[in-house]
Amino acid sequence: MECRSDELKRERFHMQNRVHICFAKRFILFGVFWFVITFLPVIAGAGGDNSGKITIYVVNYPLKYFAERIAGDHAEVVFPAPPDCDPAYWIPDVKTIGAYQKADLILLNGANYAKWVRKASLPRSRMVDTSAKFKDRYITAEEALTHSHGAKGAHAHESLAFTTWLDFDFAAKQAQAITKALSRKKPNLHGMFQENYAALEKDLMALDGEIKAVVSKNPTLPLLASHPVYDYLSRRYGLNMKSVHWEPDEVPNDGQWIQLENILKSHPAKWMIWEGNPMKTSVDGLKSLGVASLVFDPCGNVPGYGDFLTVMQQNVDNLKPAFR
Amino acid sequence: MIDSLYIAWKYICFNKARTVTLIACITLIGFLPVSLELLLDESEQQLMSRAATTPLVVGVRGSSLDLVMNTLYFGDEVPELITMAASDRVMETDLALPIPVYVRFRARGHPIVGTTLDYFEFRGLKVAEGQQMAVLGDCVVGAGAAEKLGLKPGDELVSSPENMFDLAGVYPLKMKVTGVLQKSHTSDDLAVFVDLKTTWVIQGLGHGHQDVTVLKDPTLVLKRTEDNVAATAKLYHYMEITDENIDSFHFHGHMTGYPVTAVIAAPYDAKSGAILQGRYLSKEERHQIVEPEEVIDGLLQNIFRIKNVLDAVISVVALATVMAIVLVFALSIRLRQREMETVFKLGCSRMTMARLVASEILMIVVASGFLCTGMVLLVDQFSNNLVRTLFIR
Amino acid sequence: MSMIHIESLIFHYPSGEFRLEIPEFTVARGEKMAVIGPSGSGKTTLLNLISGITTPVKGTLNVDNIKVNKLGDTERRVFRISNIGFVFQDFELLDYLNVLDNILHPYRITSALKMDRVVRQRATTLAKEMGIGDKLRRMANKLSQGEKQRAAICRALLPQPKLILADEATGNLDPDNKGLILDSLFRAVEEHDATLLAVTHDHELLKRFDRVVDFGKFQGMDAS
Repeated sequence: MECRSDELKRERFHMQNRVHICFAKRFILFGVFWFVITFLPVIAGAGGDNSGKITIYVVNYPLKYFAERIAGDHAEVVFPAPPDCDPAYWIPDVKTIGAYQKADLILLNGANYAKWVRKASLPRSRMVDTSAKFKDRYITAEEALTHSHGAKGAHAHESLAFTTWLDFDFAAKQAQAITKALSRKKPNLHGMFQENYAALEKDLMALDGEIKAVVSKNPTLPLLASHPVYDYLSRRYGLNMKSVHWEPDEVPNDGQWIQLENILKSHPAKWMIWEGNPMKTSVDGLKSLGVASLVFDPCGNVPGYGDFLTVMQQNVDNLKPAFR
Repeated sequence: MIDSLYIAWKYICFNKARTVTLIACITLIGFLPVSLELLLDESEQQLMSRAATTPLVVGVRGSSLDLVMNTLYFGDEVPELITMAASDRVMETDLALPIPVYVRFRARGHPIVGTTLDYFEFRGLKVAEGQQMAVLGDCVVGAGAAEKLGLKPGDELVSSPENMFDLAGVYPLKMKVTGVLQKSHTSDDLAVFVDLKTTWVIQGLGHGHQDVTVLKDPTLVLKRTEDNVAATAKLYHYMEITDENIDSFHFHGHMTGYPVTAVIAAPYDAKSGAILQGRYLSKEERHQIVEPEEVIDGLLQNIFRIKNVLDAVISVVALATVMAIVLVFALSIRLRQREMETVFKLGCSRMTMARLVASEILMIVVASGFLCTGMVLLVDQFSNNLVRTLFIR
Repeated sequence: MSMIHIESLIFHYPSGEFRLEIPEFTVARGEKMAVIGPSGSGKTTLLNLISGITTPVKGTLNVDNIKVNKLGDTERRVFRISNIGFVFQDFELLDYLNVLDNILHPYRITSALKMDRVVRQRATTLAKEMGIGDKLRRMANKLSQGEKQRAAICRALLPQPKLILADEATGNLDPDNKGLILDSLFRAVEEHDATLLAVTHDHELLKRFDRVVDFGKFQGMDAS
């Protein structure tokens, strides 16, 4: 028969045990908490170099679009050129060049696009010439006047056409070069990059096919280009095109009109392709010569609306009336 | 003991010339081999550490030592030039990162190293003051060169002509100092770094001038055709790259054919390095790929052979010096014969004299020891700079 | 009691080249004795025997009641430096020490004599007594002949010896100095209750001594 004192002793014993267990639990919990706090980041990061985004600096908008499509959330793509300038001729300041120097990847268009690159100091190991694979197929710009020194001096080469992305096959190759560079940086994401590239390539090839279909309706149609920026488009899709040097936001002078008339004599084009929306005066003037206007935006800089694909789709749609 | 030392000290002080000579001789016997060993160890360390951090170097076939000395230590001997095609070739293999270097020109006695930004990352060089070079004509200066030339960010530095009568090409170019590097205790401290393209401008492969295509002065135009305008030599080339004229700077010909002195190749892994080296084994190959560590090791082996001879010579000289010192003390004892007799007559043992002479020797040796230790510590303290100044520039 | 007593003493070198026989020779305490004789007669040998530098082959040699010839090498040296003061013809000062250091020299080269403040004070006092108190810091090679000999006398007297042995102490001095030095020596010997045995060739100074012994005849003579 238990006496009260035994009961009390037992109670005390159990109480002590509960206290001990309570402390033990707290201790274990604390230990687990500490372990998790200390090692979780390590465990999380053990699978590879997943920490942080790749910083990518580009020299034009098409490359920005391609890089964003392929890299997704794993990269921060920066295109520092102001929205109202032609990136091919934009010159960044020293601070911006410094930002380029610090980037994980610097995507270049190639074909001497972005002239400032040749005069800047950039880390070659992080530069990617996205058109290097097809540099043997660059187009020399027409009517480019070079210079040399002395009777036998080498010519200065500044006469390449550089809007390579308007040949959508080249655009896909440039995107492929970006994919390769990204995969080298983040090998563990290669699969994802490949998938994204495949989707982008499909979109670009769809555009490629669509333009071919449009042009096939009238392959020899003479066309005018307001600026010699459609060389790659012209070659890829077999356009019968001649260029002048007109700005969409400037009224052509008399000399330019005369030049145009002379061209029309041997090249009776009915359509002029503009880089941007031309002035009404220019449009009316062309109309009087029987030349209509359409816009095919090279999209070298960030578009005011949409994205690269939507702009190109619009470009293709704009071409359709000319080839009907 | 103290009294013996006291008398010995008095004797030493009285015979200053003899004492100083003895101390100098003993100090030199100890100092020379030890300091030589220190300097050689430091040389070996500096040479090897620099070589060990440079995996492979591609250059023209020929003297691998000249190639390595010019590439790693910016030595005066400029190896035969190769072209940027060599760098592109390494890049295309996808086995190594190529870092072209062009070390040919100088600015106020300091080597101008034309390279890419990858060089700084490769060598772990950081800008201490100012910022990294950004455009043509910019330069960053090693800490040592900045100190010697009194340069800081914002200053200007003009490249030196290759020789006094260099009339035909290498123009002095006024460069802008944009930054000063942190001290690295390597040859980089004494160098002036520019972009590779800037060295080509110095050479005259790139330049800036008025737009030739719109020139009106007929004396500036040699020949005008439909697609090209050939300018005469009268056309003025800018000797300084500024914000106003940088747009006019351009290069003639293809950059693939532009010269460099070497290409540092940093393989991505050991296997890639081995494969890359294998690609240069052909007998028809015009280039060579060397492991700087091997080249320097070979150089050091030769140095150590010479050192062994030097050690032998020093040993013989040391032996002769010791014998001379022993003779000096023996003669000294003989000269003090009367003193010995007096001391004996006064009531001391003959060992007293021996004790006095021993005290003298002890003091001289201890003084020499302290002096030698001090000098050795001094050499050790400055060995890094001494070696760089005396042996490696 | 006599300071020095020699009886039936025979000395010769191992090669047998020189032989000295002294049937009897005595020097009283406090006596100032001169020893004269031709060169090679054994005067310096006598001093060496008395001081224990050399030992006789045979005979009795007591100095201050100590049988010197019976002492071992170390004992004789200790005896010598503690009890006998030497004054040499060529002064035998050390050029690389100053006057004070020369006077204190015996205390620095043997552990038998202990140098302390009292000894230093005594050295300074001695120098003043000998008229060279203002030259203590001067190097020995900068002194005149007379000053050198005074310093040597100070060195000899500093350990307060009972016996002073002077071997041609005035031999290298000019005539004026000879008398002065001898006076200084005599005065110092009297003040310190020492006995003086001086070897000399200088006959003009003999009358100042208490007794003169001709080593050539080896007979005692009064100074008068």
